Amino acid sequence: MTVPTAPVEEEEAKPKKGWPPTETGLGIIAVILGIIMTILPFLPSFVKAIGLTFVLVWGADSVRKTSRYGLGTGVPSIGVLAVGYGVIGAIAGMGIANVGGDFTIGGVEVLNVGVLGGVALAALIGYISGIFSNSEKFISMKIPGLERGMTELGVAGTLAFLLESSMVAGTLKLSAVLEDVFFSGAIAFMFILSALAMFHPFNACLGPDEDRGRTLLVSFEISGLICIILGIVSIALRGSQSLGLADAVGLILYGIVVWVVFYAKFVRRAFEGAYEVVGTGLIKTVK
Amino acid sequence: MPLEVLFGLLLLIAFLAFVACFFEDAESDTGSQSNPNSQVQLAAQVGYVHRFFNKAISGEPLSNCMYSTTACTVAWVLLRQFEPMFPAGEQWKAAILAIPLGVLAGEILHLIFATTAHLGRTAGQSRFQQPLYLDVFYGHLIPIITHGFMTTFCITCIAYLQANLGTLSGIPELNHPFPLPLLGFIWGITVGSIGSSTGDIHYGTEREFQDRPFGEGKRVVYHGMITRYADCGIRTQKDIVGFCIKYGCPLTGMTFGMIILFENWRTVLGMLGGGYLTTNLTVNSAAGAAAAAIGIAIGLIIGIALIFGNLYLVRWARKRYGPFVGE
Amino acid sequence: MDPIAALLILVCVIVGGLLASLGVHMIPVGGAPAAMGTATGIATGTVQLMFGAALTGLFTASTVATFFETPSPLALVLVALSGAVGAMLMLSFTMLFANMLYVFGAGVVPVSGRVEVDPITKEPQTPYKTPQTDGHGVPNVSYISGWIGAFLGGFGGALMYFVLKNYAFPASLFAELGAADAEMVSAAAAGIAAAGIFVANAILSAYNIGGTIEGFHDPKFKRLPKALISCAVVSALCGLCIIIATWGLSGGGGV
Repeated sequence: MTVPTAPVEEEEAKPKKGWPPTETGLGIIAVILGIIMTILPFLPSFVKAIGLTFVLVWGADSVRKTSRYGLGTGVPSIGVLAVGYGVIGAIAGMGIANVGGDFTIGGVEVLNVGVLGGVALAALIGYISGIFSNSEKFISMKIPGLERGMTELGVAGTLAFLLESSMVAGTLKLSAVLEDVFFSGAIAFMFILSALAMFHPFNACLGPDEDRGRTLLVSFEISGLICIILGIVSIALRGSQSLGLADAVGLILYGIVVWVVFYAKFVRRAFEGAYEVVGTGLIKTVK
Repeated sequence: MPLEVLFGLLLLIAFLAFVACFFEDAESDTGSQSNPNSQVQLAAQVGYVHRFFNKAISGEPLSNCMYSTTACTVAWVLLRQFEPMFPAGEQWKAAILAIPLGVLAGEILHLIFATTAHLGRTAGQSRFQQPLYLDVFYGHLIPIITHGFMTTFCITCIAYLQANLGTLSGIPELNHPFPLPLLGFIWGITVGSIGSSTGDIHYGTEREFQDRPFGEGKRVVYHGMITRYADCGIRTQKDIVGFCIKYGCPLTGMTFGMIILFENWRTVLGMLGGGYLTTNLTVNSAAGAAAAAIGIAIGLIIGIALIFGNLYLVRWARKRYGPFVGE
Repeated sequence: MDPIAALLILVCVIVGGLLASLGVHMIPVGGAPAAMGTATGIATGTVQLMFGAALTGLFTASTVATFFETPSPLALVLVALSGAVGAMLMLSFTMLFANMLYVFGAGVVPVSGRVEVDPITKEPQTPYKTPQTDGHGVPNVSYISGWIGAFLGGFGGALMYFVLKNYAFPASLFAELGAADAEMVSAAAAGIAAAGIFVANAILSAYNIGGTIEGFHDPKFKRLPKALISCAVVSALCGLCIIIATWGLSGGGGV
């Protein structure tokens, strides 16, 4: 069975609506959606979840782009790096917002641009660590596009944390987020699952016949899972700052729908992509 | 009175730690994960079509962290809902329902990630003529989540006990300052890294290359050519886990059990020795500093004893096995 | 906010990051080949092992930190040492039991593939090594290197935790929650932030050594200064972010 060479295929194989978009296109969509959802904390959670989904998919795409050139020490490391920078950038951003850039009307936070300062800081840290990692005089990984990759991952990690925190706490005020998200320990859940949403797709689909469209479907379905669990968490916290029970239930429903749709798509495409699907069989040795 | 309960709880935590890491290694053998899985991946690429379950969910630390953090988060939510239903002093009864349900949620996530990993990796190797065997795929899912359930259940119980150690033993200040999901995070990563470091050796060096001679490291030229035939028929993970559970898993369990035992025990022993526990836990006193110092001293003594242990083990192996014989 | 506190946070975060980097360079990691007895070291990923050890240390350090309400140099040293000992114990047990598996489960002698003679115990290595492999097990020099490396890494992690808990996210900032809950928020915030900075430093150092290293006797150890500089800069930036967060949390008073 002949398999077409991967790089040419993925640019041409677009089933419908120009999917998947190019790497830069996906980045632009994710950043725009992510920033809009972040700076408007009063939106219902399932709307913010759309931004979260695209940010996580973009992060997974970025991990894929960087790891394809042989990261050596493993794909999971760079995903954890993204959320490591993300949590620091998110806390810093919320700190900036606490001082200025935060506008409330009637007790409900309607606009919060201060957190973008944290996003910028995380991008800076990512860029600088990318320079150190690639530069000949230092770590010299010599991976093309590592600076851009680490910058993107810093931004994606920070936006992911900000969106998840605002979904659970209903607001991006630092004190409220610390009391809701950190006190419950949901931050630990967000940390590890955002990391997994970014690196699991490429790690799970690793192989010479890896297909970008199929790989990104995994990231969509993981974001659905995150939304389900975060919805359950916000049910427990509804007594404090979140917007009420309907908000949390909406988030859980969004999560379930996204997960079912994309998981089914992925399984179908994986079955199609495998060499053959058999009920059972013996093995052979291919010389 | 509370001291007996306290030390009893510490023993219980150490026992749960033993069981947790035991099953963690068993689970990483049931669904081939982490380092030996690189051989399973390589096997197809060198032409050895196999019937192994290629579960590539990153390394074990991060995946175990995910299961236990999810389990602890959902358990935390359920505890918050159930605890008000019980009178104060009996709120631990809420945990009886909350913890298993939380662990179930974590394991459902485990199942989903395992399926996407196996499907993704098999689809990514289609050019090597590696088929997707549906009986391998479906037949291993339940064993994976049952072994994982035991691991995650024990870790969640450990986290719960540590977060509520004070409440359960009557000295409220002994509750660990970290929230439940963060404790699950910590122990998930630790259990995973221990299981990955110790148990995987038995799977990778011994069982995966069963047809190579015992008593040598597996040479680079052997890589990828794993043993694919079992005692009768073709090998799957179910044949592997039964072997590794006899040596690799108990040893892995003992590692984590001893780590937890000594961590908790030396802290509490330090508190007792420094007089911190008995003087009503006044912070900032010399008793606190003495408690910390005694704990550190005990830890250093144990650490140095372990160095000598390793010295002795290596010397024994060198004398007993002798230099390498053969080519 | 207090400029002394800000400086202390910055310095301790940088020191913590440097110790994390040094620790990563010293623990013996063999990666995937070690699980097959093809390479010396522990059979897991560098970052994940260091992270696991440091988190174990952090667990004990956070308990010890509750013994002291007001920070003092003695408290800082004791908390950091508790973290160091915790991490060291975790790695020591892991390495010892891994050796037991190598010796009894696979039948190999723990030897190094990088040196002819063990630098510490002067035992010859090559006669006991399987040909066409790069060593196997955790020989004595790697064991001691890992002992020290975990000690340093745990020290750095616990140091960062202590400073972040008492100066960056002190419980007094959350006083409206009640004493116990404020403690918990403070501890959780400090714990996650310390873990995030620690893991970032560990990952950059892991890139430096290319994923596997045998310990301080490995030639790759000479690449240490490059990682130290990179980690110092990245840690400084992360420390700056934490200072900004604290400044914002306390209402943005004059610095």
